[in-house]
Amino acid sequence: MSPGPTPVEVDKPDLGSDEEIDLERPWIVLVWNDPINLMSYVSFVFQKLFGYSPEKADELMLDVHHKGRAVVSNGNREKAELDVFRLHEHGLWATMQQDT
Amino acid sequence: MPGSDKPVAFERSENRTRILLGWEERELIADLAGQFRSVLAEDTSPDLCRLYPTAYPDDADKDSEYASLVHEDLLRSRLDAVETVEATAQADSIDADELAAWMALLSSLRLLLGTRLDISEEDGFDPDAADAPTRALLAWLGLLLEESVAAATAHLPPHTHQ
Repeated sequence: MSPGPTPVEVDKPDLGSDEEIDLERPWIVLVWNDPINLMSYVSFVFQKLFGYSPEKADELMLDVHHKGRAVVSNGNREKAELDVFRLHEHGLWATMQQDT
Repeated sequence: MPGSDKPVAFERSENRTRILLGWEERELIADLAGQFRSVLAEDTSPDLCRLYPTAYPDDADKDSEYASLVHEDLLRSRLDAVETVEATAQADSIDADELAAWMALLSSLRLLLGTRLDISEEDGFDPDAADAPTRALLAWLGLLLEESVAAATAHLPPHTHQ
């Protein structure tokens, strides 16, 4: 494991109007249970798209299966939309919404 | 069946995946790929709904914006998969990208058939039912997808999350 970068002093960020987007509530990406997709395939897609370990991917997949849905990623709107698109491309039932 | 030792469709062989299917099975896959292309091109079948899902269930404006943004890309990506599978249907072995295309097609076909059958998780298999052949096809495609997942898992790069 890398110890990570050395902390440095940073200037106080300038929160001008251009930064407003960063102050938006983050978006979450949900995957919903569906009766067609195979459990092993869903877990595989989570590993492939998000780099999750097999254990974490299985855990999320089982949440989808038993609880009906799971949050699989989050971020700003652009990132969430890209993640939703990639999940749709792989045939998963994904939606996005702003975190409450 | 999933979980059994001996694969019948895909077997990993070093950095490639061997296709173990017989000639007729390969012909069937290529034929299904061609049929899928036609359904995609028509773009009107209600059975395609699972292939173009809603992204924003609570916001119709954002959702139609999303749909118009990605529809072409989703279609293109599925047509590419069809093309790759047709080109490699009789191949001895395929590389990781080609395997991904096979998986994409298998998954898409299952979504299409499953939607058409209005499948639910509680459904059992009734060999005398009118839709038994389609259900058997769905199960067979599931077996192939299951084995392709096993083969593709070996191609995954090391995980970056916990």
